[in-house]
Amino acid sequence: MNFRLLILASTLVLGACTTTTVNEHRTNPVGLTLDGSEKVVVLGRRHAGQYETEPDFIDCIGGKLDDNTAVTIVDEGDFIDSLYPWFEPRTAPLRLGRLERMLADPLIAQQVQALGIRYMIWVDGNTETTESDGSISCAVGPGGGGCFGFATWEKASNYEAVIWDIEQLADMGRVKVDAKGSSYLLAVGAPIPFIARVQGEACDGIGTQLRSFFNRKGIASNEDS
Amino acid sequence: MHRFFGAATAIVLLALAGCSTSVTVDSDFPEPVNHSLPVRAGLLLEEDFLAYTFERDKGRDITLALGNAQGELFRNVANHLFVSVRELEALPQGDSGLDLVLSPRVEDIQLATPFDTKLEVFEVWIKYNIRVYRGDGEPLADWIMTAYGKTPTRFLKSRGEALNRATVVALRDAGARLIIEFPRVPAVYNWLKDNIREKDASTGAGP
Repeated sequence: MNFRLLILASTLVLGACTTTTVNEHRTNPVGLTLDGSEKVVVLGRRHAGQYETEPDFIDCIGGKLDDNTAVTIVDEGDFIDSLYPWFEPRTAPLRLGRLERMLADPLIAQQVQALGIRYMIWVDGNTETTESDGSISCAVGPGGGGCFGFATWEKASNYEAVIWDIEQLADMGRVKVDAKGSSYLLAVGAPIPFIARVQGEACDGIGTQLRSFFNRKGIASNEDS
Repeated sequence: MHRFFGAATAIVLLALAGCSTSVTVDSDFPEPVNHSLPVRAGLLLEEDFLAYTFERDKGRDITLALGNAQGELFRNVANHLFVSVRELEALPQGDSGLDLVLSPRVEDIQLATPFDTKLEVFEVWIKYNIRVYRGDGEPLADWIMTAYGKTPTRFLKSRGEALNRATVVALRDAGARLIIEFPRVPAVYNWLKDNIREKDASTGAGP
């Protein structure tokens, strides 16, 4: 009996995997160079009605980029507050043309300059549960409690990141990630979860790819020589 | 046995408490980056406005106290939207030394929770009537302005926290609309054109 349960558990662990596909487009094959004072801000798109890019996903990408010594990240919340009300869901620029018009205002341009922003990375997308099945029942009595049943659900993450160069006012590249995976919850007395890290895998994929775009001036020149 | 009934009663009470949510909206609002209009403004925040509490008794009970937070928002925005602002306790009668007076009023609030919509977001709509008066108290415009805020549920710990965040997003949206759109409200635009020198009137909202 225990052997069967072990086989079932092993199958589920293998089953709780995530499939991730990452695509990238570079406008310029040469890496994006940052000097010591230049920074990057990662911003989530929040204008769509039915979803918004999760703030924790933006933090996760920022963390991945920060791992690279070439990139200094400005916190999303600090950036949005410093430029209130120009990066709110209603007012944030969706196109480079709009950003150009915004930066033509000296007040806004000075503030962006004071923060040291050179590149803006816009991330659009979300993670959602696409399918769910099964059921679990739990009961509690004077003698104790327990759960019984089986549930499964599938999550899908779809995100696209676009890099804008604030100095050249140009689109420097795009990274798109699609990840999906199934999670399971088996309950025989105590519930045993087998959770697929769908959003985590999407963050790893997009973060690692974005990191490869950047290099610091000194580091780049050393590598070139 | 007594212990069992005690535990059962506690669970029932907790379950009942879990059906209602009471939130006092709390946030600091950032200083806006904008050009101030060359206008000496009065800001009249009535008691009803500063103590405004929304109560919903359909579906799950929700109480949302946002008077204090919206008062802070309007003070903050007005102080940056105009070159000078004086807070008033009543509408001026006759010459007040002010150019315009603003007095906001909440017309309506709507909430949507995942319980209502099955979407994984909390949404808040606030409909304001921004009443604009000339410095002598004569009505100039009633500007109906709707603000919207939403927040995904997944990363927040409680329903109260999610409602607070969605309301703060809606209040920030109201501030953004005030700064950007107030000078474009037709009656205000015409008043600015007639009363403020052309050079000064070109300042204001921004891009």
